[in-house]
Amino acid sequence: MRSRFILPLAFAASAIAFPAMAHHSGAMFEPTKEVTLSGVVKEFQFTNPHSWLLVDVKGPDGKVTTWGFEAEGPSSMTRAGIRLKDFTPGTPVTITGRPMKDGRPAALWVKATRTSDNRVFVPARGFAVK
Amino acid sequence: MRSKILGLVGIAIIVVSLVVVFVISRAAAQGAPKWINQDGDWAAGKATLQAFGERFPTSEAMFDALKKAANGGKPPTWAQMGEPAFDWSGVYTRSKPSLQYDLDLPPEGGPDSAKLTPAGQAVVKTKADQLARTGGEYDPLSDCRPPGTPRWFSEPFLKEWVVTPNQTWLMNEMVNVIRRVYTDGRGHTNEEDAYPSWNGDTIGFWDGDILVAHTKDLMKGQYQRGVQPNYSEKTTVVERWHKVDPKTLQADVWVFDSVNLAKPWYTRQSWTKLTDDEKLLRLRYWDCRENDNNKIVVNKDGTSQFPGFTFVPKEGAQNNAK
Repeated sequence: MRSRFILPLAFAASAIAFPAMAHHSGAMFEPTKEVTLSGVVKEFQFTNPHSWLLVDVKGPDGKVTTWGFEAEGPSSMTRAGIRLKDFTPGTPVTITGRPMKDGRPAALWVKATRTSDNRVFVPARGFAVK
Repeated sequence: MRSKILGLVGIAIIVVSLVVVFVISRAAAQGAPKWINQDGDWAAGKATLQAFGERFPTSEAMFDALKKAANGGKPPTWAQMGEPAFDWSGVYTRSKPSLQYDLDLPPEGGPDSAKLTPAGQAVVKTKADQLARTGGEYDPLSDCRPPGTPRWFSEPFLKEWVVTPNQTWLMNEMVNVIRRVYTDGRGHTNEEDAYPSWNGDTIGFWDGDILVAHTKDLMKGQYQRGVQPNYSEKTTVVERWHKVDPKTLQADVWVFDSVNLAKPWYTRQSWTKLTDDEKLLRLRYWDCRENDNNKIVVNKDGTSQFPGFTFVPKEGAQNNAK
């Protein structure tokens, strides 16, 4: 079995490798491509099973688009050192994520840098065992 | 003098022989390997534990043998609850951040430690083909249904434990699951009253500081996403739980499933107590309805998608969901 399936298995296993969405498949996000945007926090939805950081991003034409960045729930965020109070509305941030394949303004949150103190917030650190 | 010495030697030989016979017979009666720590040759230890499971035709036979070897088991007293072996307090998580059901398997690999039936192999191949073709999949848990057992072991979120003489609770933050292990001497639910459920029916006993459990009446499911096998409603499970050090709780788990497994699948599951000096960690309630942005649907090609977002104007079900 191993020899027959080795290639598809290797490919398929990458679909569950950490860090990934541990509650649902991450198939809707680009597997490797990243987008980095700057804006201000509109809302931090600290919810289970996933949190969403909504960021208002102003385009070159002045039009504001709200982007949503998905991360794990409050417990994993707490383990990553990310608290609800860290992203109050109006907080300026630069955030990197793996965007949706279909082009909608949402992404898997990879890291966010808070402009005021350059502190970096990485949700995937919430699965570190320590 | 010489005859005295010979006599003493003879007595010594007899005593040693009796001790050896006693030890061997006791080991044979116990049947199970003593707890094997993972700091030695774990590959050999794992093979021993796999072979032990394969000696039994059913999980019931294995559980009964373990219980007999433990003379029926003896529940700890309330006075013992504060002893290190029974103090499972704290917030734990899986010792490795892996979604592999078998923690010894690398993330980039298939379920190599499972000895699958042809039907079990066909399931794995179908999953591999799906992922190769589409690059994605849909997890039924996306709607917040419980993972069920044995998948329960492979979930990476927070866990808590409550040990009492008559019951032990094994709690997973994910979807608010509590597995109850009854150690008050009761048997399984009567056949006429039994039905399949997410975590089945679990009874157990204490063999010293090792909690031995048996689970049946399970719903079918999958061990985890990716190319991991499925399990059927015929699945039954034997577990041996042991606190191996102040920060580590482990369980030897043998899964029996005549539909998908040609042999019982043995794994060592492990959880580590998290450092939480500020007492911030909580197991919080899970419900996908908390946030409409967390709704996931299955696409026609078997992959997953968000049907809409609250933060995108005039969003609707414009995707290709079923």
